[in-house]
Amino acid sequence: MNTNNLLELAEKLVDFGLKKGANEIEVSIGEGSEFTVDVRNTEVERLVEATSKSLSLRLFVEKKTARANSSDFNNDALERLIENAIERAKIASDDPFSGLPEKEEITIDINNLRIWDPTILELTTEKKVAVAKKIEKICLSDKRVKKSLGASYGTYIGETFLANSKGFSGSYKRTSCSAGVYLQAGEEPNLFDEGWSDSSRTLANLESPEDIANKAVHRVTRLIGGKKIESQNVPVVFEPPMTANLLSFLFNCINGNSIYLKQSFLAGKLGEKIGNDLVTVIDDGLIPGAAGTKPFDGEGVPIRKTVVIENGLLKNYLMDTYSARKLNMKSTGNASGANNFYLVPGESTPEEIVKTVKKGLLLTGTIGFGLVPSTGDISRGAYGIWIENGELSYPVAEITISGNLGNILNSIELIGNDLKFRDRITGPTIKIAEMTVGGK
Amino acid sequence: MQEINRRDFLRKSSVGLIAGIAPQFLFNLINDKKYPMMTSLILEEYFNVSIEDMKKILEIALSKGGDFAELFFEHRITNTVRMEEDIIKDSSENILFGVGIRVIKDDKTGYGYTDDLSFEKMKQTALTAASIASGSSKSLIANLTKKTIDLQVYDLKSPINEMRLTEKLELVREAYEAAKSYDSRIVKTQVNFMDEIQHITIANSEGLLISDIRPQVMMAVSATAEENGIRNTGYKTAGGRYGLGYYKNTIPPKEVGKRAAQDAIILLSAIDPPAGEQPVVLSSYQSGVMIHEAVGHPLEADGNRKKTSIMWDKLDKQVANPVVTIYDDPTIPYSRGSFNIDDEGTIPKKTILIENGKLVGYLQDRLSAKIMGMELNGHGRRMNYRYNPIPRMANTVLAPGDAKPEDIIKTVKKGFYAETYQGGQVSDSGKFTFSVNMGYLIENGELTKPVKNATLIGTNVQILNEVEMISNDTQFFLGTCGKDGQSAAVTAGTPTLKIRQMTVGGRK
Repeated sequence: MNTNNLLELAEKLVDFGLKKGANEIEVSIGEGSEFTVDVRNTEVERLVEATSKSLSLRLFVEKKTARANSSDFNNDALERLIENAIERAKIASDDPFSGLPEKEEITIDINNLRIWDPTILELTTEKKVAVAKKIEKICLSDKRVKKSLGASYGTYIGETFLANSKGFSGSYKRTSCSAGVYLQAGEEPNLFDEGWSDSSRTLANLESPEDIANKAVHRVTRLIGGKKIESQNVPVVFEPPMTANLLSFLFNCINGNSIYLKQSFLAGKLGEKIGNDLVTVIDDGLIPGAAGTKPFDGEGVPIRKTVVIENGLLKNYLMDTYSARKLNMKSTGNASGANNFYLVPGESTPEEIVKTVKKGLLLTGTIGFGLVPSTGDISRGAYGIWIENGELSYPVAEITISGNLGNILNSIELIGNDLKFRDRITGPTIKIAEMTVGGK
Repeated sequence: MQEINRRDFLRKSSVGLIAGIAPQFLFNLINDKKYPMMTSLILEEYFNVSIEDMKKILEIALSKGGDFAELFFEHRITNTVRMEEDIIKDSSENILFGVGIRVIKDDKTGYGYTDDLSFEKMKQTALTAASIASGSSKSLIANLTKKTIDLQVYDLKSPINEMRLTEKLELVREAYEAAKSYDSRIVKTQVNFMDEIQHITIANSEGLLISDIRPQVMMAVSATAEENGIRNTGYKTAGGRYGLGYYKNTIPPKEVGKRAAQDAIILLSAIDPPAGEQPVVLSSYQSGVMIHEAVGHPLEADGNRKKTSIMWDKLDKQVANPVVTIYDDPTIPYSRGSFNIDDEGTIPKKTILIENGKLVGYLQDRLSAKIMGMELNGHGRRMNYRYNPIPRMANTVLAPGDAKPEDIIKTVKKGFYAETYQGGQVSDSGKFTFSVNMGYLIENGELTKPVKNATLIGTNVQILNEVEMISNDTQFFLGTCGKDGQSAAVTAGTPTLKIRQMTVGGRK
């Protein structure tokens, strides 16, 4: 990878933009190599391998903004892109809140972030194919699994370069690897699809093929025989991936853009109690080795740890420079979205949490889109396992689950100890006092 | 460059359709005069790669024993403009440029891509894709022969990329003002405008050499109304493979803005739906999304050749009520989902999927058609040069019946009427969910209170068998469909229809 050249190119384009009439300009370049192998029924089905670049830029003429992106790195094309953007900015509207952030020094040592694992670069294609095949083979050896929808292994090696006219210039490298499998079980017409996959910045932290396979088999086979239930209001236990979905929705509701546009039910609630004492939510982009860890965000603002909700009290929104100015606050280093956004774990094991439920639902999957940030309303298709007297009793399918994020934050009764930083948004098992489960 | 993340894996076997209100990153786009329209040029020359070099690269791609090789050259310029808070917030221009190289060996695919069209880089990429096979060259490359396109399904008369930005801003402002001034309770409006020109050239080892230039425009308006602390948002999109004339002659921007605002105001008095199984009437306005999810996805050939779709063993069998006929037609003039050629260079055909309840066809790409021994019908599509083609829908339509919409509603004593959608999702096993943005209660044969936050859930087998009455007022939903991490512009059309019984989710 040509580190110096691409950072130099970004700096050169910044200079070119200033010369052509931009007041401020920011250029970011990403270069990466992706590898994916898909295996199905023990044979390689697809293999993708490529290295590519892309460029994004943002510039301002007075207080007017224009953006551009390109995968064409021809010099003429890039210069024309900047000239076009300047012309477009001139006829946009004045926006006093626009502009680049003031330069801040990056004080952390990038090497301590552990987001670069050279052993991933050394993996051979044969090795990656072998892991995907192994995962699938373990799954198919279980007679209850009817079909494999495919196992995959992927790696990504990338580098980000950012330069702007405020004097910021920086870059960082990162790696990731992932493995997973998707399965089908049951008998027609009652088939069920489920799977499991894991991803990690470092090879050593990726779950073993056995663990991934066993989880996938468990997740699909436990759905066999799923049936509808009567509509009712009951306690609902969210498995970690479901908690993560809920937190994604929460992130949409506390990010600066939703707040200043008043598209969120949490707009204007800063400093208010929005959840019960159990609820503490943090965005920390400096956790070593985590999925969203990085030294600076998409605007060159240093990444930090921000407490969003502390014991139910809404302490901070997560903002980029623009939304922060709109709200008369400071950027929290979230121009690239969530860094590592998580619900602080509690002490109960998932099993202990299920034991506390007399009658209710263990939510293991949802499908659909029904989330409304302006009200916090949630309404989605769902499936899971019915809980009776603290025991997992039988699978339920084709149900809907509905509730309201505001109410949920106030009715979380228990929080599990099973947090893993697998994605940029993550959480442990939680128990909600009551939600509506729709069925027959 | 695609960072692989776990969510993509988990999404692998589910597919979804969202309303055409594309997120910012999907909106990209163009600027005027500096990119001349290339209609007059020979497209093969557009990418500055000679036919001899294309042939050499194809030979290299098959040098390890592959059966089939293909080059997909793409140059796409997408322009966007966004207006909110009464100002033009920003505009963007996005350029995608590169070549994807695919090699097929039996049922295996090797794929590589590069944004560098130098011979050396293309050669390297071809070798990477070639490695899906291991052996020596067996296949000869046929001479590349230019194929021309007879049917033109785009409106290239007044290309929008030749339109000046100031003119586009006028359209955007017109829609914005119409939404904002509709009612004093409209507190927020956003307009996104997108226009795109995609140039592609496809060359393959069977000797095909074909090019296409595809325009696409889309205007999306959202309007939020507020009253007594309750806020709701209405949406409206309008667009297709059109030029500027579309917004001047067919749908004035102010109509787009007004409809979004109208829905937002109606939603202010909306109630939560009664949960449980009940008769459901799907309005023709956007319910095509249901046909797309429940019928279209399970009939894409890949899931059927892999026997993971519930339809794989049902060809020539009765799978639906005999009143149901469903087809996919990529040749509907100017439609958002249409194309002159698919992304493998195949001239597409109107493809009947279900005829009077009987399953008669699948949506094919080259790989699936070859393995299944079936004919190509032009449904191999890809998001861009960085992705291998897969079977996809274009414009999926449920054929009209002869009932009148109002007569259908009259037959329902107590039920739910679905009108606008946020989107839908379906799994391989046929279970689906739709998020209804706005609907109505049906009480004693009449639409009564507006309803928000409803979810419809069921299986495609159930939908197909429980369609009872079909009207003749077909309308199209404009959407962006996601599958295997690739998005595609599609539409889905349906007349108003009645489903005997369906599960409605809500909070009551």
